[in-house]
Amino acid sequence: MIAVLLEGLRVELGGRPVLGPIDLALERGTWTLLVGPSGSGKTTLLRAISGLCVPSAGRVLLDGQVASDGARIRIPAERRQVGLVFQGGGAGLWPHMTARATLDFVLACRGVPRSERAHKIGELIEMVELRGLEERRPGELSGGEAQRLALARALAHDPRMLLLDEPLGPLDARLRGDLIERIRDVHERRGLTTLHVTHDPHEVEHLADRSVRLELGRIQAEVEG
Amino acid sequence: MSRPLVVAALVAFAVLGLAPVLVMVARVAPHDLAGVFGQRSMALLGRTALLGGGAAAVALVVGLPYGFLVARTDVPGARTWRALGVLPILLPPLVIAMSWAGMTSLRGGLATTAVLGLCTFPLVALYAARAFERIDARQEEAALLAGGLRGVLRVELPLVMPSALFAACFAFVLAINDFAVPDYVSSIGPKWNVYADEVFASWRSSQSTGPAVAAALPLVFLTALALWPALELRRRNHLASFSSDFRRPGTLRLGAWRWPALVLVLAVLCVAAITPLGRLVFEAGGGTRGFSLAHMQAAFARALELGRSNLQSSLLFAAGAALIAVPIGLVLGHALERSGRAGRWLAAVALVPIAVPAILFGIGGIAVWNRPQTGVVYDSGWMAVLLFAGRFLPFAVLAFSAAVAMLDPRIEESARLAGARPARRLLWIVTPALLPAVFGSALLVFVLSMRELDATILVPAANSSVLFRLYNAVHFGRDDFVAALALLVVFFVVAPGLLWTFFARRRLEVLP
Repeated sequence: MIAVLLEGLRVELGGRPVLGPIDLALERGTWTLLVGPSGSGKTTLLRAISGLCVPSAGRVLLDGQVASDGARIRIPAERRQVGLVFQGGGAGLWPHMTARATLDFVLACRGVPRSERAHKIGELIEMVELRGLEERRPGELSGGEAQRLALARALAHDPRMLLLDEPLGPLDARLRGDLIERIRDVHERRGLTTLHVTHDPHEVEHLADRSVRLELGRIQAEVEG
Repeated sequence: MSRPLVVAALVAFAVLGLAPVLVMVARVAPHDLAGVFGQRSMALLGRTALLGGGAAAVALVVGLPYGFLVARTDVPGARTWRALGVLPILLPPLVIAMSWAGMTSLRGGLATTAVLGLCTFPLVALYAARAFERIDARQEEAALLAGGLRGVLRVELPLVMPSALFAACFAFVLAINDFAVPDYVSSIGPKWNVYADEVFASWRSSQSTGPAVAAALPLVFLTALALWPALELRRRNHLASFSSDFRRPGTLRLGAWRWPALVLVLAVLCVAAITPLGRLVFEAGGGTRGFSLAHMQAAFARALELGRSNLQSSLLFAAGAALIAVPIGLVLGHALERSGRAGRWLAAVALVPIAVPAILFGIGGIAVWNRPQTGVVYDSGWMAVLLFAGRFLPFAVLAFSAAVAMLDPRIEESARLAGARPARRLLWIVTPALLPAVFGSALLVFVLSMRELDATILVPAANSSVLFRLYNAVHFGRDDFVAALALLVVFFVVAPGLLWTFFARRRLEVLP
């Protein structure tokens, strides 16, 4: 089954075309690498799928539902059930919230009853091995810990799709290996559809079902397996 | 941002800030315009522009080096001087004018220009300090290696100037719209009319909105002329400020210039704040008739006894205005910053309440609220609260927009992806991340309301405000009582900021 379908997707920023036209289909439960030079539109593509930027043309379909049609947003970002780990060490983490409060907030947004939240937070904390760091704020976490919290946050609202924007970028080699194993484990256990932007495909290509190369906002090549 | 929230905030802004301006413009009849652009008006306008230009120049010449020295150099006690440097903008200009008038024989245009320039120099200093702090350490180090301190200044001045000039534009606007200082200076020396006087006189003589508004149109034009480049400079400054991997610059060593720099900083501080305050203390203690602590105690007891209800009223008015302005400012400031091109138009509209003289805004408020349906509001203290909130909303909107500009958009985006609705994001993500701006904006509106006289001088509620009491006492009262009351006003204006500085860990964000 197709989890994500992009039909003639185009994005303009400040009147300048930065992406498209893109035609792409992602099968449910697959891991797709998105590679390409800086400025090729990789992050913009993730943002268009997640609903954080408004396309200028084309359609985005999630599980067969039209999420955006041209510049018209049919499903806003907050209802797309997409988890996104931003580029940078724990970027976009809420500076005033502890790790526990961060996950609690996401679960509350999902409507999880208060009585169940503590258990779920415990599971997520265990999964990303942040036990003992629950009461720390992002500023008190190391780069690797912050990135693991970002991953836990992205998974907390039970997404149907995981978007990773260079999640390993700021980490050292040992942490990179550790985090990627963790993500692969979650991907397989939950049957997620994962789209992974990376500058270094060699490090993760053994995990991917497919690689897509973007250049100047367009798909230049697709490699299976 | 939630559309209903933005619409509600826009409606509130339209009622509080735009309606007083629009209603009075609508009341101008063609015959009211006769004589508006006459020789006398143009001469007054020229004089007012000269006053604004002079005050802005004083603010720029004093504020730019002051901001640089206290924010970036190793001048002894820099942090203390930086905090104290805010004092002159917190003090009512009338208070500074009063105290300097007692010490010098300078009167007329020069006195007015100097007082308004000194009152507004902290604006330039604050903006310059912030801009100097936002220059990436690596840019500065490269300049330092290339040409030493001189090289640093040559590289950084062009980067800082948009901020400093933006503040100077605001100093210009505040100066040309001030009524109390020129009026006071005229009352103790040769008459030196400015345009705001003319608007006030026009209202007093005709008690009719049309002629007063028509008389003010050239001044409105002059204000808009200064605010437009200010907006452009503000936008440019935002763009030039930050990159994602920003590194904070270190302290610059002045070497042998450290002590002369300290003398310069202290001289500015003495002239603009310490001397006027010292003079007030001296006057409260009996002044030239014989200074004594007993006399001062008696003066303060008398000021508290006679001015207590006025102080209470002013505190309530100012706190009420701050409470109203903060939520509206937060929603509109966020919308302004995050809505791209539409935000630029919103920024221009947001400035409308301060694009007209305060007196005129007050007259507009009377036109809006003085009607049978709203008579209860008009006759009560709420009138002052609503006028202050409307008049100073632009500062709250711009202060929040500046704070939102520094907030990583990914913080909100991740909340959005987590499923948080707009109102929830605003309450749980944006507001806590902007707490220094929330308190800063509240404080800004509170302080501006406490020191404001012109906007409410014509409404009944003004009779109970402490500034009105002070204004009357200056003209008819005893010096020791006036000085003690002025010092009490200063205390209440400065106290909230001092409390925050002493007890909070984060720096207040107050700059629009």
